[in-house]
Formats: sequence, structure tokens, C-alpha cells
Amino acid sequence: MSILSMCQWLQDTTIGTSIRESIWVFPIIETIHVLALSISVGLLLVSDLRLMGYIMRRRPSSEIYEQIKPWMFVGFGIMTVTGIFLFWCQAVKAYNSIFFRAKVVLLVLAAVNALTFERGIYRRVDKWDNALVPPMEARLAGWVSLIFWVAIITCGRTMAYTF
Amino acid sequence: MSAIVHFFQWCDSAAISQAIRNSRVAFPIIENFHLFALTVLLGSLVVVALRQFGLVYQAQLISEVATALRPWNRWSLAVMLTSGILLFLSEAMKCYGNIPFRVKMFFLFFALLFQFTIYNRIVQKEGASAPLGGKIAAAVALCLWFGVGLAGRAIGFLG
Repeated sequence: MSILSMCQWLQDTTIGTSIRESIWVFPIIETIHVLALSISVGLLLVSDLRLMGYIMRRRPSSEIYEQIKPWMFVGFGIMTVTGIFLFWCQAVKAYNSIFFRAKVVLLVLAAVNALTFERGIYRRVDKWDNALVPPMEARLAGWVSLIFWVAIITCGRTMAYTF
Repeated sequence: MSAIVHFFQWCDSAAISQAIRNSRVAFPIIENFHLFALTVLLGSLVVVALRQFGLVYQAQLISEVATALRPWNRWSLAVMLTSGILLFLSEAMKCYGNIPFRVKMFFLFFALLFQFTIYNRIVQKEGASAPLGGKIAAAVALCLWFGVGLAGRAIGFLG
């Protein structure tokens, strides 16, 4: 079974069809997906800016990151759930969209960047926690994260124009 | 009534409006910036509100958190308004009869009014913990700004 036929099957399921054909459900899910950007990427921005050494420099980097993390995860949880439903109801169009494919690749890269940070320089955070400007590796993780998320938002918004 | 419609027609026929309409990429590019700015604007608002509710960054005063995020809040608002005005100009006549657009302007008016007359002053004075009034103000600010976002998204769906 090819990926395309799996996408076709997925959007032909009862859930896929009913979301697509409903007047209100699709717009409501998409609106939540857009507004939850504020509590996913919006909160991540604060943590990334601390890693880059731009804001809240007098507080430890780990404090800024760890305290916002649960709320950030709530945001990314909402993004994931609503994103899955949006894909579900128009899987074929998404599959055929270059912007959707780019978005998936960028999401994977953003996750790799986050994991590299957690498993790498963040393991030794006690050595640089109070530094006004964190070490290069941490600053880079912050920059890469922001660049990826700007690109992900761009792909997400632009794919809708091509549908 | 006719003065308002003429204003919208004038906006719709301005050179810049036509330039945006005639370009295949201008509108999407401007709307992308509108969306980045939304993320930063609402994000900074949420962080300050979380601090007022006592849920994050207790080691910093509320006024410190607000001050740290103020430039991000201001600049994102500037990008929001600039990109928003350009988007509006390019489809002013579509916006004229659009109910969500009117609702959005209603929310935007009160969101700006509330933020610049009341809310900014409240957070600037708050220390280690917010009184009930401060928490209510945070909730009001969130409702107004998310209302702007909600109605804004609806312009496209109910256009």
C-alpha cells in the first residue's frame, strides 16, 4: 500500500470525511491550531531568547527553560492533536503539497535540534547556568530552533494557499 | 454610512492595494509576517499572564518579567499593525461587509485601549504576587487579544 493510498484511505474514514464536510468543525480546529502558536512557539521563544543571552540574563537559563516547559508542552500538545485532525481530513492534498512535506522534514529537524541540545550542552548546564550569555553550543541551539520554527510556520501557512 | 463606504473604496483602490492584489506572493508573505507577530505578541502576553497567576518565574518580580518582554510585545504589535493594515488595504471592500472584520476591530480597539491605559500600568506596579485585580486584568487582556485573533481567523472563513 503506497503512502498516497494510505492518505486516501485516511481522509475517506468517517472522521476524515465528517471534519472535511462540516461547516464549523474544520474552521474551529484550524483556529485552535493557529492561536495555540502563542503557547507553543510563543513560549519556546522566551526560552530560546534566554539561551541566546538576550533576555532575563540575571536568572539561570535552566530556570527559564524548566519553568516554561510544562506550559510549552501543553501548547505543542494542542498543536499536535489539532494538526493530526487537520491532516486527517485532507491527507491527499497535504501529501501532494511541497510545503507540507517541507514542514514535516522541518518538524523532524526541530525535534533533532531539541534532542541534541538536551543530550548535549544541557547535560552540563550547571557549568554555565548563570552565564549572562550561554556558551556557543547553547546559543546555536536557540538560533536553530527559532529559524526552524519560523520556517515551519511559513510552510504551514503557505500550504493552505495551495489547497 | 456613505462616508464609511467611500473610505473603504478609497482604501481598496489605493496604489498599494492594487500592487498587493496584482502580486501573487505579496499577500501570503505579508500574512506570514502577520502570523509570526501573532505568535510573539500573544506569546509574550501569555508569559506575563502566567507570571501574574503565579505559575512561572516566581524568582522574578511581575514587573521584571513584563519589562523583559516589553520590547518583544511592542515590536510584534508594530509588525502586527503594519502587516494588518496592508492586508486590509488589499481587500478593503471584502472587509467592509464582513462581520468577523467588524468584530475584530471591536476587539482590537478595546484590546489596545485596555493594554495602554490600564494593563501596562498594572503589571508595571506589581511585585512578587498579583492581587486579584491584577489576575482579573491579565484574564481580560488575554480574552481581548485572543478575541482579536479568533475574529481575525474568521475573516478568512466567513468572507
